[in-house]
Amino acid sequence: AGAFKERPAKPTAFRKFYDRGDFPIALEHDTKGNKIAWKVEIEKLDYHHYLPLFFDGLCETTHPYEFFARQGVHDMLEHGGSKILPVIPQLIIPIKNALNTRNHKVVCTTLKVLQHLVVSADVVGEALVPYYRQILPILNIFKNKNLNSGDGIDYSQQKRENLGDLIQETLEAFERHGGEDAFINIKYMVPTYESCMLN
Amino acid sequence: GSLNMEAPVAVERSNSWSEEVEEAYRFQLAGYRDAKEYYAVRGQECDRWPNNNYVKKLQKKDTPYFYYYNRARECPDKDVKNVKLYRYNP
Repeated sequence: AGAFKERPAKPTAFRKFYDRGDFPIALEHDTKGNKIAWKVEIEKLDYHHYLPLFFDGLCETTHPYEFFARQGVHDMLEHGGSKILPVIPQLIIPIKNALNTRNHKVVCTTLKVLQHLVVSADVVGEALVPYYRQILPILNIFKNKNLNSGDGIDYSQQKRENLGDLIQETLEAFERHGGEDAFINIKYMVPTYESCMLN
Repeated sequence: GSLNMEAPVAVERSNSWSEEVEEAYRFQLAGYRDAKEYYAVRGQECDRWPNNNYVKKLQKKDTPYFYYYNRARECPDKDVKNVKLYRYNP
């Protein structure tokens, strides 16, 4: 009972750091193209410190926290290269917390982040396999929860916000980039998942 | 300004996305006309992605801060017509 029910998120460490001005990001009023202006070059950032903090902010649903957390994670993954892999163990709890909010937008954003994470650098996908046990249960709960809009138009499809589809895409990305142990481990946690690699 | 750089002689716009549009879009988000102006202002070339040579990182024109760009196309269709393609004397 209540498996799908949204659960209120606790105040995030991300918000505290943001409010104190502890992130090396500039608050621009004329932000263009959804960009963050970094005060420090991303390559010089301590990923052990900042990447888990930005992931912690994925639970946020209000502006500007939600935007900076999402875009900060995006930039750090896109430009992190070999600095990402050693931080994986520190990302699991923030990922789990975000998925556990069961908030539709938060879960969608987190799934897109997971898809980005597995392609962000070599072997990151394989390094996630031992953590499936913590990440996948919530995906299993929501996997078959596609919105049934009947004759109406499901606008969520246009913004890639259909939960069932995003979960399917994410599991496929996990399998593709997770190495030879990925499929059996996904199947163990999500029994209805079928391999995307066999055909 | 007083920068020692060639001034453009014309500006064009495009109705459809191309790599040239993408290149100009990235510079213009950061406040520059193009790579020529970036070099004149910053005194160095910008970082580019090795696979496709797309702009990767720019220091903004109005502040010392950095904008980072994706490996893949960023310029949305709706913004293509707003991108200015500067032309210089051959």
